[in-house]
Amino acid sequence: MFSRSLSYVVFRKELRETLRDKRVLLGVIVSPLLVTPLILGTIFFFAGKKQMQKGEAILDIGIVEQAAFPELVQQLDDNATIKTKHFDTREEAITAVEKRIVRAVLVVSETARIDFQNDQSAGLEIIFTFANETSQSAKSRLQNIIKEFDKSALAKRIQTMALPESFAKPTSLSINNIATSESTGSFVLGLFLPYLIVISAAFGGIQTAFDLCAGEKERSTMETLLVSPASRSDIVQGKLFTIFTISLIASLCAITGIVGPLAFGLDFLKDSVGNQISINLTSVLAMLLIVVPLALFTSSLLLVISSFARNQKEAQTYILPFISIILLPAMLSTIFGAETQLYTAFIPVMNISLTMKQILGDLFDPLYFAISLGSSFLYAYIVMRIATAFFQRENILFRT
Amino acid sequence: MIIAENLTKTFRDRKRGLVRAVNNLSLTCHPGQIFGLLGANGAGKTTTLRMLGTLLEPTHGNATIAGYDIRKNPEEVRRSIGFLSGSTALYGRLTAREMIQYFGQLNNLRGTDLSTRVDELIESLKIGEFENGRCDKLSTGQKQRVSIARSIVHRPPVMIFDEPTSGLDVMTSQTIMAFIEQCRIDNLTVVFSTHIMSEVERLCDRVAIVHHGVIAAEGSVDELRQLTGEAVMENAFLKIVHEMKDPNV
Repeated sequence: MFSRSLSYVVFRKELRETLRDKRVLLGVIVSPLLVTPLILGTIFFFAGKKQMQKGEAILDIGIVEQAAFPELVQQLDDNATIKTKHFDTREEAITAVEKRIVRAVLVVSETARIDFQNDQSAGLEIIFTFANETSQSAKSRLQNIIKEFDKSALAKRIQTMALPESFAKPTSLSINNIATSESTGSFVLGLFLPYLIVISAAFGGIQTAFDLCAGEKERSTMETLLVSPASRSDIVQGKLFTIFTISLIASLCAITGIVGPLAFGLDFLKDSVGNQISINLTSVLAMLLIVVPLALFTSSLLLVISSFARNQKEAQTYILPFISIILLPAMLSTIFGAETQLYTAFIPVMNISLTMKQILGDLFDPLYFAISLGSSFLYAYIVMRIATAFFQRENILFRT
Repeated sequence: MIIAENLTKTFRDRKRGLVRAVNNLSLTCHPGQIFGLLGANGAGKTTTLRMLGTLLEPTHGNATIAGYDIRKNPEEVRRSIGFLSGSTALYGRLTAREMIQYFGQLNNLRGTDLSTRVDELIESLKIGEFENGRCDKLSTGQKQRVSIARSIVHRPPVMIFDEPTSGLDVMTSQTIMAFIEQCRIDNLTVVFSTHIMSEVERLCDRVAIVHHGVIAAEGSVDELRQLTGEAVMENAFLKIVHEMKDPNV
């Protein structure tokens, strides 16, 4: 029994020591639970505020009338969301846009009014600069005003010609989104949450792994432990389960740090992922289950790196390949859709991320889930064996 | 009791090729006796003690400690020894009490047996005043007392000391020396490695001079002095090692 074994004694001590490490507490618990929501909240708050300001701001618009077009220009002059300024030439107006005197310019062509009155298309041109956000907004606002103008002009033309309203609408299309606001929210959440969980599970244990092995060598406590009756396997298991536990805590805190504020009704976060977030208990349990082999896999990999390194500094230099092994498949999972081919269930890390995407997107596939879970446990077992073998080797443990 | 027969350890070194760190080293140490391994840095003392402590596996040869074979019963061997070296450190984020408790648990002490033994050590080694202080906040002397407690929490019949006073000041060294002497009084079997002559003269009942991984000479301090005709142990040591050729060359 684990609880009675020396592995458990080692595990309990390592966990106790790890949880007293301020660096781990800050990185694994405090940061995802407090700092991440705070940063996200600040970003969304200011983004929302800016968006609101953008919508409320009165924008300066230039008008160049190469020939009079009072029907349209009057409408522009009367619009309360813009302030118009008239220019005589196109060049003059372009200079004004460049100098930010006005943000965009509407150029009315010489034949615009005649064409309009003859039921033709009136020639108009918008001048703006893409390199300026306000100028882009001014362009959009102008487009919307002209769209409204077009709409009312078209209605008048149809009326004059005694045509039915459907004349201008050859098809009548209605779009019906059957997704509930909850499932839309979960779908959007599925786009980034699995990636976040994978990264947290993989990187949450780094500090602990380096401290428990390379750090012990560095501080000369490893010899103290190796000379105790605990076997090398007991020591590896105890350390591995500590890193695994910390990785799991890191994942849980990452999930809580994102989903928690949404659940507690922080609107600025809610708006960014959908109207409502709903993850049922079964989904949460399935996600927890699938993250277990991933955390075991990454913990074992970290232990291999840490046992090979002479000290923590050296361990940090070996971390780059580890990051690639985890990040690449995790990033690929954002490209692959949730409805993917079965072979991807054998690709480590990516399979976990895609399984979570399926769970969140209401596309749960039991076969895919089973293969992902099984293959991930197999990979975790293989790396665990490598970690144990590393720990048996004197030339690795006593590298100086 | 410790019986080592033809212990040999070879390492492959990238620059030096195959290195024989310990070469056919044999020794016997009885209960109530302090056996000293005296040698310069790199002589093979630490490697020998690490083999006895089952940290390293011998390339050839074998040893029994308290009746247990180091190859066949490494865990029983570790249960029978207390290992203290100058380089063995404490866990900084554990308190002194937790540190002793942890090693008690690793030696299968549980419940009241464990708490009684921990209390006993805290009292006898005068750890009480800092028992709840984290090890990384303790002074060197306090750390040494905790290290001693950690090494004997399971009442081992054999003690292995690998340069235990290395890097310590005179006062702290005295605590260790007094402890080693106490081990002899308690009839423990003690193996002790050092390169400090005064420690050998004060503590050791028998001394083996180790040079280039082999025992160059063995006997009591007096016997070694007589053998070399030198009155001072340091001179005796130098004479013996200078007369020896490096078997690795």
